Amino acid sequence: MNSILKTDFDVLVVGGGIAGLQTALDLGDQDYKVAVVEKDATIGGKMIRLSKVFPTLDCASCITTPKMASAAHHDNITLFTYCDVNSLDRVGQTVTADVTQRPRYVDPNKCIGCRQCEYHCPVYVSDAEQGGFSATKAISIPFSNAIPQIAVMDVENCMLCGKCEKVCPTHAIDYFQEPEQFVITAKTAVLTTGFELTPVSNKHQYGMGEIPNVIDSMQMERLLAPHGPYNRVLRPSDGMEPDSIAYVQCAGSRDKSMGVSYCSRVCCMYAIKQTMLLSGSLPLADITVYYMDIRAFGKGYEQFYQNAKAMGIEFVKGKVAKISEGENGGVELHYESQDGEGVVTANHDLVVLSLGMVPGWNPEGICPVSADSDLFVKTIRPKLSPTLTDMEGVFVAGAAAGPKDIVDTITESGAAAVEAAKYMVALERSRKAAA
Amino acid sequence: MSQEDTSKKEKKAAMKKLRAARKKWIVKASVRVKVQKKALKAIKGHLEKGAATVPKVAGVTKMPADEVLWYMAALKKYGQIVEAEKDGGYFRYALSEDTTQEAS
Repeated sequence: MNSILKTDFDVLVVGGGIAGLQTALDLGDQDYKVAVVEKDATIGGKMIRLSKVFPTLDCASCITTPKMASAAHHDNITLFTYCDVNSLDRVGQTVTADVTQRPRYVDPNKCIGCRQCEYHCPVYVSDAEQGGFSATKAISIPFSNAIPQIAVMDVENCMLCGKCEKVCPTHAIDYFQEPEQFVITAKTAVLTTGFELTPVSNKHQYGMGEIPNVIDSMQMERLLAPHGPYNRVLRPSDGMEPDSIAYVQCAGSRDKSMGVSYCSRVCCMYAIKQTMLLSGSLPLADITVYYMDIRAFGKGYEQFYQNAKAMGIEFVKGKVAKISEGENGGVELHYESQDGEGVVTANHDLVVLSLGMVPGWNPEGICPVSADSDLFVKTIRPKLSPTLTDMEGVFVAGAAAGPKDIVDTITESGAAAVEAAKYMVALERSRKAAA
Repeated sequence: MSQEDTSKKEKKAAMKKLRAARKKWIVKASVRVKVQKKALKAIKGHLEKGAATVPKVAGVTKMPADEVLWYMAALKKYGQIVEAEKDGGYFRYALSEDTTQEAS
């Protein structure tokens, strides 16, 4: 008979990005038992995949990795990676989540992260962690600072040659692994499901991802990262060092044609950050930002923008209407100049689309929490208690509730932890009063 | 028959069943590996003659430049090639010492 494993915690955190980790750490440090459920094979979310952060230009990995390690080694925090939440609901005073552990085809208790399987696997597959610019193997560890360091097999690209099994020193390969279902119960839950970039395929005027050398902002993060696919910024079509790079702002925000009418708040600043990093790695390159408005809303952000201008980054006011393939791998941008020049065509070697943020998770059919008109999780008191949802004992933090930067995400995660703790104290009080 | 022999036999039968269940994926992956081996051989074969840029390798191997760069990025990641000197707007890539020794 199959029995579904049931585990009990104080708090369930859905999402292991920076918001989830901060919430978990803040609650774990108060001696609450926390379960973090993450869909990816590693925790760290979008932040661990960034090169640097604005406006301080700190190395993103240097900030995120210690938090990931703290969560992984915390006595009160249990990480469930490579898992899907099938349902999340409240019954009485308990939050219950039905979770599926996807198979890695590697025994997590035996894998020591030595990567011998990866080195010996003969199948190269596109490495999504490197923006698709490089390859990984059909069995691999997601990236060098992934936590946990456990290999994952891509069975759809595995030819069952048996090489990984032969070289694994701990006999961790398990070709027969199956999805496993389990139930997590908790007193409260915090939703930290983050965001995804607006799909580029939604905008045919921008080539729908088919024009060579038109990349998105996360791909540029990888090109700028020290452990990026080329270890330097190169044009993906032929490996040329670009002399002219353009940023197209609001490429996935403030655009009703893409179904994203809101401002994603962070695109201006991350584009400015990337241009500053580019001017450091390619000092002779011309860098142009095509924008509608620059929104430099946070502490030190306006100064950051002014610094970029002082460094020689060119800011051109105008919404790019169309992008087309140019000559010799170049890219043509067509926009209406606001200096009275009419429709202008500009040529660049590499174009970066500053894509906006859309919700990383759709609660429909999984959790009875409401979504707002922008499809992010609805907060019922956005001004005074921005982490409260319309579901009792279920809180939200970070980009799950709407586009926001890392600073605001961290602050909100702390607030969600306090709200969750407050809720648990109140539960305990009412339990005692009833007894 | 020893217990070890029995479990080996059982594993063999289970693998056979698994291969049958995943046949579609296995065939696809096998075709992919064949193409990849040919491409990698062509790229490394050209680099054995000396360091070269991506367009140069693409020209000789008759492969698209973006594909050559994809393979070269992977070869670099797994330590089989290294970045060499710059040639105009491009970098040359050379076989790493280990790969050169293996080839010879």
